[in-house]
Amino acid sequence: MRSNANGAEQRRRLISDVAAPADALTRLVAHGDQQFEAFFERVESVELLPKGAPNRVRLRKEQGLAIRKIENGRSRLAAADTISGPAFAACCDRVAGTARSIGTAPPRIRTGRWPALRLAEIEQAESRLTRAVNRRRVGFPMEITARRHRRQIQVIRSPIAAPPQFEEYFSLQAKTPWGVWGGLLPSLADEDLDPIALCLVDRLRSRGLPPHRGGAGVIVLGPNAAAVLLHEVVAHALEADTLALSGAPDQAVGLKLGGPELDVVDDPSSAPRVCKRSSDDEGTAVISRWLLRRGRVRQPLADLAWAERCPGMIPGAARRASRHRLPGPRTSHLELLPGAIPEGDLFAEAAGGIYIGEFDSGSLDPLNGRCVLRAPCGRRIGASGPVDHTGPIEIRSRAADLLAAVTAVADRPLAAGAGWCAKDGALMPVWARCPSIRLEGLQVAD
Amino acid sequence: MKSARLPGLRSIRLALGAVREHSGAPGAELYVKAGNTCRIEIDPWMTPVTTDPDDLQAQVSVLDERGWALRAGGARRALFLADSGPLPGPSGWRRVNRHSLRPGALRLPSPSSDTTPRTTPSPAADAGEPPPDDEETAGLAFLRDLLRCLGERMPEARLVRGRLDSGASAAVLASTTGVTGRSARRLATVELDFAISRDGRQTHCSLYRAASNLHLLGADSIAGEIAERLTLATAPPPPFLPTGEVAVSPALACNLLALLAPLLRGRDGWRRLRKLGAGQPLGPPQLQIVDDGALDAGWMSAASDDEGVPTRAVALVRDGEPGEPLLSWEDDGWSGYAAAGCRRRSGWRALPELCHSHLYIAGASEPAESIRSGIVHGCYLLDRAHDGRCQATFEPSTNGGERRPEEGRFEVDAIGLVIRRGAIVGEAPKVRLTGSLRQLLRGIRAIGDDLRFLPAPGAVGAPTLLLTGLQVEAVG
Repeated sequence: MRSNANGAEQRRRLISDVAAPADALTRLVAHGDQQFEAFFERVESVELLPKGAPNRVRLRKEQGLAIRKIENGRSRLAAADTISGPAFAACCDRVAGTARSIGTAPPRIRTGRWPALRLAEIEQAESRLTRAVNRRRVGFPMEITARRHRRQIQVIRSPIAAPPQFEEYFSLQAKTPWGVWGGLLPSLADEDLDPIALCLVDRLRSRGLPPHRGGAGVIVLGPNAAAVLLHEVVAHALEADTLALSGAPDQAVGLKLGGPELDVVDDPSSAPRVCKRSSDDEGTAVISRWLLRRGRVRQPLADLAWAERCPGMIPGAARRASRHRLPGPRTSHLELLPGAIPEGDLFAEAAGGIYIGEFDSGSLDPLNGRCVLRAPCGRRIGASGPVDHTGPIEIRSRAADLLAAVTAVADRPLAAGAGWCAKDGALMPVWARCPSIRLEGLQVAD
Repeated sequence: MKSARLPGLRSIRLALGAVREHSGAPGAELYVKAGNTCRIEIDPWMTPVTTDPDDLQAQVSVLDERGWALRAGGARRALFLADSGPLPGPSGWRRVNRHSLRPGALRLPSPSSDTTPRTTPSPAADAGEPPPDDEETAGLAFLRDLLRCLGERMPEARLVRGRLDSGASAAVLASTTGVTGRSARRLATVELDFAISRDGRQTHCSLYRAASNLHLLGADSIAGEIAERLTLATAPPPPFLPTGEVAVSPALACNLLALLAPLLRGRDGWRRLRKLGAGQPLGPPQLQIVDDGALDAGWMSAASDDEGVPTRAVALVRDGEPGEPLLSWEDDGWSGYAAAGCRRRSGWRALPELCHSHLYIAGASEPAESIRSGIVHGCYLLDRAHDGRCQATFEPSTNGGERRPEEGRFEVDAIGLVIRRGAIVGEAPKVRLTGSLRQLLRGIRAIGDDLRFLPAPGAVGAPTLLLTGLQVEAVG
């Protein structure tokens, strides 16, 4: 058993020997204020398009490295699209500004094997999702595009090498005559496809309905919708670079953003099994970070650079879209801790309001704090829970008002709201675990 | 980018032979691209423009990118494979075998008989590659100049975020059908976000500009544009907004043209464009809308597209009437129209897709200044409002909403000036310009002589336009 585990570990290693590049990085340091970091990355994406599409199977692989010098809060990065000793040495020369900065001989860097290409599970995605829809006694035409994403990284910040990280997840796009659904999944198993089938059936039943126009009222957000809301108004709002747009990031600590029922944590180590992380994209160990504790800001998301500028901040939330981008503080896996109210009671006290199961997009303007959330459909809440369907719903509000409107948190959290975050044009997968929540007194715009 | 870094056609043909041998694919195409970029990013520290330029928190990245993409297969089975790094040698293709091909079809263009692909890179790309250190020095100098120029005009402005990319790329492709192509280009882009607080009003503005060379970006003129936009955005709203004539600057006209882009490409777009005209002219006789992949001195200019098909100028709207559609080689001869090289890849990882390269409204002879000064009672709209809407709908909503008789409407939030008898009588910090797409084209009354290109996906260009028949209302 142990040898099997070791074998799997070996296969997941991006580079077989970290000592040589770590040793080379130590030779770059000219004085104590300088830090050097090597980032090795390997990415694979397999895409299966609907039947009849040209080049239906699309396989993209890439690997490369980046060397970064951090000095007095400034970064200098050099990246290359290959992993080799000469490429490593050339990047070191570029950040150091001298030739032969690590000596005459480049370090020997050997890469491990790519993981095996398994296409069968992707090929079964369409039939599995169709079966999940049919189990709800409906059927409609769908064009399914399924993708599997894999990413291996290895960070060495001289002289320490962080544990190698491996992520594997799936993305799915279902095109129907009345719209497109897209999202991320930790696997293509039935239990992960069932919630998507539910979303698709809800969209089927709300097709052709006019946009919902309503005034202030009660809104119950399902776990998926609650996750998107918290991603925009808590996670993004508490990223150090976003906070810096309106003042010193550490001054946000202690601010009251919501009621005492709001306990929000960012914890990359408790993400779905195939995506969990023990260290971030700078090689810093991740922590379970209280973003909001009883509604107050506790610990904003920070990377090394922001932690250096704001001594109260803890690094460990750095993410980079690729080796060609500098790292920045980002959320990975957001959790809203459950409240004490059974989910049924949220609806019992919300009769006459609106239930929103999912938002298909959300955005936050970091400078004025305005947030826009769009749902493809919703349901009116009757005496016994969600009843008849409505058309699209758009919520426009200030982030602070949205959080202040949360009056109840249900007791049953679910893995939900996984999707792509596109802040600053850098596409990154984000995960969440949330219960349903109730909001009161919000304006719903058309 | 020095073309020496790319493999020669002989190496690519050897690789294609190896792919066919191992996979049994009847056809194959290889596309190889390499590039380098110097990127300078300014951290969001709300830097005052009057700060000491040496205190800028500039993060510098020097990026080398290279990769290749293989398309192989036949009528029933096909493969798309993309990978980073140099092209493998002939023995490196063993991993591509018969099992790599999956159900699907591959179609590749054949060599064009009537046009010989020119292999000369664009003039901009021919200028040679400056060393990365020079690019970095020039980039930092540009940003410092920009802050100095803006500080002189508007010392209270703050730089929220800045990003400057300057680089070059080159690509080569060959296929088993005999098509070959080479392209090279240089591009510098700058994205800036500035904020200001004045008289209790806080606002910000974003600007995205591009040029084929960093030295052509012009720090002083960009600083002028930013100051103008920040001044307008912090002005009080006008008590009354005239709605008769609306002149739009080249920057806003480019945004309006970009909204029309789906009507101006492919067979579906052509059908919709014809429907928009409904048998009548689309616009005034002086209206010419062109897409030209080989535009002289254009940023995207290349002799052939990313499938090796020769590019040319396509008059999409000619003398106010639908001209010819932008068609890829797969649709060559559709309705009697000829194809043009118009399939581009967003990078080496991507498959080629039908898209514009230089889409523009050709400038006319009327001086832009005379259009502005000729407004009797109306608005001169300068640019999009930073946090406003900019969208078009082409079909009646399938998920509710009112069905309108005409196809397609647009709405754009903009900043501008109120004009009376050619004189500025007030500012319009945020107005919403709305109307039907049909009226947008049909209502063009004058076209200026100041054609200017802005980066969109590709390059979109337009001169100053005088528009009528649209709705303008104050927002916020």
